[in-house]
Amino acid sequence: MAIVLSERKPFLLLLVLLTLNLILMSSSVKNVERRSLLEEAVVSIASPFLKTAAWIGRGTAGTWSSYADLRGVAKENRRLHEQVDSLALQAREAEEARLELERLRDILDLRGQVDRPAAAARVIARDESGGARIVLLDRGTHDGLAPNDPVITPRGVVGRVIGAFPGTSKVQTILDPNSGVAALLQRTRAQGIVVGQGEKGCRMEYVSELSDVEVGDVVVTSGLDQIHPKGYVIGVVSAIGEGEGLTKVVEVRPEVDFQRLEEVLVLVRPPAAAGAASTEKR
Amino acid sequence: MKLVRGFLAIGAACLAQELLSSYLPGVARRCDLYTILVVYYGLTRPQAAAMVMGTGAGLVEDSVVQAILGLNGFKKTLIGYLVGSFGSLFMLNQAIPRFGILFAATFLDPLTEIGLLAAMGKGFVFPEMLDLLQRGIGNGVIGLLVFWIAARIP
Repeated sequence: MAIVLSERKPFLLLLVLLTLNLILMSSSVKNVERRSLLEEAVVSIASPFLKTAAWIGRGTAGTWSSYADLRGVAKENRRLHEQVDSLALQAREAEEARLELERLRDILDLRGQVDRPAAAARVIARDESGGARIVLLDRGTHDGLAPNDPVITPRGVVGRVIGAFPGTSKVQTILDPNSGVAALLQRTRAQGIVVGQGEKGCRMEYVSELSDVEVGDVVVTSGLDQIHPKGYVIGVVSAIGEGEGLTKVVEVRPEVDFQRLEEVLVLVRPPAAAGAASTEKR
Repeated sequence: MKLVRGFLAIGAACLAQELLSSYLPGVARRCDLYTILVVYYGLTRPQAAAMVMGTGAGLVEDSVVQAILGLNGFKKTLIGYLVGSFGSLFMLNQAIPRFGILFAATFLDPLTEIGLLAAMGKGFVFPEMLDLLQRGIGNGVIGLLVFWIAARIP
């Protein structure tokens, strides 16, 4: 018996580990609102690495390009070029700071326009394999963020918080195939659900066949999902096709550039509303 | 000591993946350092160590970029097991077979994910073949580079 067990040890370990992962998946799918202690622990361990990476990324943005620029320069010209490069580096840093300031100003303007508390946050990690379907923010429960809080930018809707931890939170973007946003066409008020398609953008489903839809129509949130407030831009119609039954399928190009997403605004729910929404979901 | 090295390896992979995302998003999209780490363990360590590394690396990846905790853990554990099995059956210490293993692991990763998501009744998007090929080549080339560096770490 002992020999058999010893021979089958790797296979038994495989079964144990796969079962553990399946249990975690099952619990994760069931309890979207509540994150497990294990996930919280793993995020807490990983977040210093992620924040360090984000800090290095921001802090040395100009150094990499200067290094690349300087590599081919002949030795005797280097001293003269150093001054120019230094000024160029400063200019690039100033330009980077100006752009960041502009983005933050836009976020601040947007914050002034929304009628509920909001928290500005930075993107510190993203899923690069599927067109940024999930992004990680540097703000969490300590800043009042909670699951189902909508996330927006001045350009439009980003997604919703699906996991909030003490110092970070995970956002499911509208590109995720499992996300769904209640939406309507701004021009004709035809309603539907916007579903993610990864790198391909989004698709608006359940639009009545009789609805008047044209390429270029603006798609905005309808507020019916009780997560995203009404009237925020999702994207524009890029193509129209036939759906199942008496519906149309409308391809939507999101307004937000998810590959360049750096700062976002999280619309924080008042504690009472968050509690009520959480209870309703359950 | 081995455990500490394992933790540090996962931490380094996590840090490097996010740095790549910041500096070279094009490269980050075509390489998965967590998969490379698991394949490295599968080729150079006992099968059990590769599976445990697969679970550890997968769970960290899940915590960072996945909505479902355990999805990457499952995939990477399976990759650790299969690469460990291959590693114990064949001589895989040359560059070409190692490239092949990295390439195959890259394909196995999304296929397993699609299978799991379909089994759970969740939505999924089929990856483009060109995208997969690019990721396979990226993982192969960067993986060989990582193996070469790792072999020189005392």
